[in-house]
Amino acid sequence: MKVRVDFELCESNAICMQLLPEVFEVRDDDFLYLLTDEIAPGQEAAAAEAVRRCPLQAISLED
Amino acid sequence: MTGRGGPASASGRVEFDPFSEEFFADPYPVYRRMRDEEPVYYSEKYDFYALTRHEDVAAGLKDFATYSSAHGVDLAMVRSGRPAPPLVIMMDPPEHRRMRQLVNRVFTPRAIAALEPVVRAQVERFLGGCDPAGFDAVQDFSALFPVEIISAMLGVPPESRQQVRLWLDVFLEREPGRIEVTRRGMEALISTGAFYHELVRERRAEPRDDMISALIRADMLREDGERTELDDMEIAGFATMLGGAGAETVTKLIGNAVVTFADHPDQWDALRTDRGKVPAAVEEILRHQAPSQYNVRYCTRDVDLHGVRIPAGSAVFLIIGAANRDERAFTDADVFDIDRNAVESQNIGFGYGVHSCLGAALARLESRIALDALLDFMPRFEVDRSRCRRVAMTNVAGWASVPVRVTEKGRS
Repeated sequence: MKVRVDFELCESNAICMQLLPEVFEVRDDDFLYLLTDEIAPGQEAAAAEAVRRCPLQAISLED
Repeated sequence: MTGRGGPASASGRVEFDPFSEEFFADPYPVYRRMRDEEPVYYSEKYDFYALTRHEDVAAGLKDFATYSSAHGVDLAMVRSGRPAPPLVIMMDPPEHRRMRQLVNRVFTPRAIAALEPVVRAQVERFLGGCDPAGFDAVQDFSALFPVEIISAMLGVPPESRQQVRLWLDVFLEREPGRIEVTRRGMEALISTGAFYHELVRERRAEPRDDMISALIRADMLREDGERTELDDMEIAGFATMLGGAGAETVTKLIGNAVVTFADHPDQWDALRTDRGKVPAAVEEILRHQAPSQYNVRYCTRDVDLHGVRIPAGSAVFLIIGAANRDERAFTDADVFDIDRNAVESQNIGFGYGVHSCLGAALARLESRIALDALLDFMPRFEVDRSRCRRVAMTNVAGWASVPVRVTEKGRS
């Protein structure tokens, strides 16, 4: 499973980072970075939660 | 099927009139019936549709292609057919995105966190002027401090900040039964526009470290591929909207909090002894009684939902206030509980998707600091419900006046 972020939409709310810090990181420059675009087995539920809870709906998953 | 929205109940068809005294007084019983009986509600009186279930409202807010903001966000404007003014809340992507990107880095949680001392100073300034023996939680406190913060960010001089708020109040007011802005409201809007025009002119001549000066420096990619600066009208519109949205909403959230906690003193006590719960309390107030109750959208295509067709061109209310009380999404949705499972469903009090509240981090910071200060100021208090008054406004709901008496004084 792969994750995509629409960086034009992202406003660094960092909710995704709280849920899945192995994948999402808002750095000191206040921008979001994807540490990997692979959602590993066991991370699917947290990734789906990140998609749902992003206020801007900037995150999507694809198989 | 009777009526266009579904079967009538034994007590007759639901009537949802967002411009009625009954609605301003208490919309929640009507919302429940709409969710249960007519999840796609149709108003013959005003010719609009309304969605109230959490699943439908959340999906509607996300689907900007179907539910367009480009015709305005209140009923009068969407129905008028007139072009909406160039405001970011009244645009669809991609134009919306370009406009929002001009200011959105100012409002990220991290950027806003740096404002904590400013927010605390304004909260303490106004609470310090309140008499524990009798004060108005809205008029003397929650109406006063948020506008100081957002308008200072914009660059409004101190002596004009409260005036900006008073104009907006008048602009949003509605007379029962009338969807249109009042004559006084129109005059207030014109005064606001003229005020910001003059401020933009001053900042063009002499820039400062404020948002209006930053907007003057900014340029924006236009539809024809050109990058151009914002004109005075665009900047004044931005300032009017940000100043308004940033003042009106927290005012209502704090007023709602005071009234609600007066009814739930046990939860106020719990909060006082465990301040770590304040952020969750803010979220629960927002869910239970959203200051921004609904947004109106323009339906760009025929939509079939729950057996009802919403024709293209219809005005559609997306009712956040009803969705956040949907028991399909939240356990005991009508119960106010600061300890509830916060992630059972998405709290859409700040909206959802591309138009979700730009100022959410600021609203959260202001609300947390205000609640924290109120917990110190009034460990125990009474609200005189007989003298509470609600606002009668479009889109937003809350109290205009909340008389409070502190019954056990805290540390000052």
